[in-house]
Amino acid sequence: MVEPAPDLIQNTVPSLIIDEQFEGNVKKLRITDNIKELQTVLRDKSTSRSDFIFYADRLIRLIVEEGLNQLPYKECSITTPTGHSYNGLRYEKGNCGVSIMRSGEAMEQGLRDCCRSIRIGKILIQSDEDTHEAKVLYAKLPPDISRRKVLLMYPIMSTGNTVAQAMKVLREHKINEDNVILLNLFCTPQAAKNVISESPGITILTSEIHPVAPNHFGQKYFGTE
Amino acid sequence: MSENVFEFTNPPSSASSISDSGEDDDQTFIIKSGPKSPIKSPKSPTKSAAAKKKAKALLGSAKSSGRVVHSGSRTLYTAGRPPWYNSQGQLKKPFVIGISGGSASGKTTVARKIIEALDVPWVSLLSMDSFYKVLNKEQHDQAARNEYNFDHPDAFDFELLIATLRRLKEGKIVEVPIYNFQTHSREPTEKTIYGANVVIFEGILTFYSKELLQMMDMKIFVDTDSDVRLARRLIRDINVRGRDLEGVLHQYNKFVKPAFEHYIEPTMTVADIMVPRGGENDVAINLIVLHVHTQLQNRGFKLRSKLANAGCNGEPMPTSLYVLQQTAQILGLHTFIRNKDTARDEFIFYSQRLMRLLFEYAMSMVPFKSVRVETPQSVTYEGKRLTNLKICGVSILRAGETMESALCAVCKNIRIGKILIQTNFDTGEPELHYLRLPKDIKDQYVMLMDATVATGAAAMMAIRVLLDHDVKEENITLCSLLMAESGVYSVAYAFPKVKILTTAVDKEVNDKFHILPGIGNFGDRFFGTDYFEQ
Repeated sequence: MVEPAPDLIQNTVPSLIIDEQFEGNVKKLRITDNIKELQTVLRDKSTSRSDFIFYADRLIRLIVEEGLNQLPYKECSITTPTGHSYNGLRYEKGNCGVSIMRSGEAMEQGLRDCCRSIRIGKILIQSDEDTHEAKVLYAKLPPDISRRKVLLMYPIMSTGNTVAQAMKVLREHKINEDNVILLNLFCTPQAAKNVISESPGITILTSEIHPVAPNHFGQKYFGTE
Repeated sequence: MSENVFEFTNPPSSASSISDSGEDDDQTFIIKSGPKSPIKSPKSPTKSAAAKKKAKALLGSAKSSGRVVHSGSRTLYTAGRPPWYNSQGQLKKPFVIGISGGSASGKTTVARKIIEALDVPWVSLLSMDSFYKVLNKEQHDQAARNEYNFDHPDAFDFELLIATLRRLKEGKIVEVPIYNFQTHSREPTEKTIYGANVVIFEGILTFYSKELLQMMDMKIFVDTDSDVRLARRLIRDINVRGRDLEGVLHQYNKFVKPAFEHYIEPTMTVADIMVPRGGENDVAINLIVLHVHTQLQNRGFKLRSKLANAGCNGEPMPTSLYVLQQTAQILGLHTFIRNKDTARDEFIFYSQRLMRLLFEYAMSMVPFKSVRVETPQSVTYEGKRLTNLKICGVSILRAGETMESALCAVCKNIRIGKILIQTNFDTGEPELHYLRLPKDIKDQYVMLMDATVATGAAAMMAIRVLLDHDVKEENITLCSLLMAESGVYSVAYAFPKVKILTTAVDKEVNDKFHILPGIGNFGDRFFGTDYFEQ
């Protein structure tokens, strides 16, 4: 990591906190009042759809930015227009996104807004209404995905079954678990445990771990209530 | 809109015209300087309204053509307001000139000539005419019969007048009533006068109140012979306002003359300067202008070079500074936008990503309240919502404007004001040229935006403007992508309650006030107006 320029700045706070109860697999956004408001609006049943999308996109963007922070980079030096050199860093290539349809697609735009030409694969998983068993219906992934870091996108996890199924698909495509970062907004402790027990190498980025997940997310975001 | 500088009102007492026009709903104004032209032949206030209008139009055109400044690809059409506060951000009080004299003595002409000859921007003219009391029905009828005494001190609302001048003296914005001489009441709208470097205050009884006198730095009495004044009144009231000789004389003998002798003439003794013959007295006016210039110069100082040297080595940065955590993303984005070889579309893209992160961080510092909401999962959720304090954005043109879209992406339906501040190439000092702010900004939380802050001179001026509009200091957050240490120190020292928020702090500022290593001229790179070698 490059040394931050002035070392005397008093107010810098980390934006991400490792949740100890999941042995370093789960990293949570530091909850500021601002982020709490985003979560509150998404949780509130009286929120209008237009507000819901606006606030969801903001929260997604923050999670995506944190996800990108987990990707590899190299230090480099460049020249500024004033003719001075600046020691910065350059993102490395070889990443991709994978969204778990349908609600994961809500996060695609957030990723696209940060990385204009990133490759995005899709996996369609449907839960059986009665058994809650997740079933893979469709998957389309970049051909060289096994060599890439994967940002897996799925906003709400209540059981973790869907993500566990998606991880199976990724393993079938010879992807190393260690290279998978799950971008998630809300997750239950049980879901986190389930996913980690099946894929101990995964990193989960989330904004909140709460016993009740806002399961209405996909329907409200896409307006299919 | 030039009314902020020039205001032509009819001389008081028997007046019967609307003193003002051209109101603006928003707090908008463009600063125009006086013309460079030397003193023209004197105009007496007895000229017809049409002639006045023409004079005003002429002044207007001279104003805009007199001050066009080209430098490189930049063209400035107005003169800006130089700093009106010191390096600690504290106000330098404006120079207040009081002008008194009998009715039709030529006070307005003297005021106008002083403004013209001063040739400095930011002069406000305040007229006592705006402060006539509202008349009741009975008084209104009296006025119609020429039986109401407009020349008596009781006809004026001195309380409001003192409060107004005091605020102007503090550099604050004021709302001046518009008096309707037909209905003898105040118009529902008010006229906005901004804090200025020179305030000229004219009227028949300007020296009547002790409190007013204490606020004046210079007191001028316009002493015109009473025969001349009566002659002017007769011509004006009969020819221009179509009144009859008898009525005018009646009013003059009953009210105007006694009031002059009782209330106006005695105040002559407090005056610093007597101007005989009114507006025709060019020698007196030139002497006054010379004196005011000297006074203004004594107050001036080099602000920016002082600011560039601000900062102390080794001391911790001020606690009001907040810098985004230097994560890989932040550093990587900085690498893109600082690189001189980055193409403009990438420059725009990556700088906007950085701005969005900046504003999400800025939003974490505004006040929130705890709420409890119902969820579709039938559990209640303890959360946070914004308080009723409204948030608005204010961008410092031009580079600050680039940040508006990122702010809008974070704050739904936010209102945005703009402030244009440009550097004067002769003095190297920032000058205020234009501003447009949301109307009720004083009760709002303000995200002040500028892409880069080097010496902090422009940011300080913008903060000063906000404070002059009664925004609370603790409700201002200065948001920028890059700051120099000197800028951080200057702003934090002058305005300790303002939150300073940025994504990176660089050590140095060069003698051209560019940040090093810096980012180059952000506005030029973003808008594509930068110079490139062929």
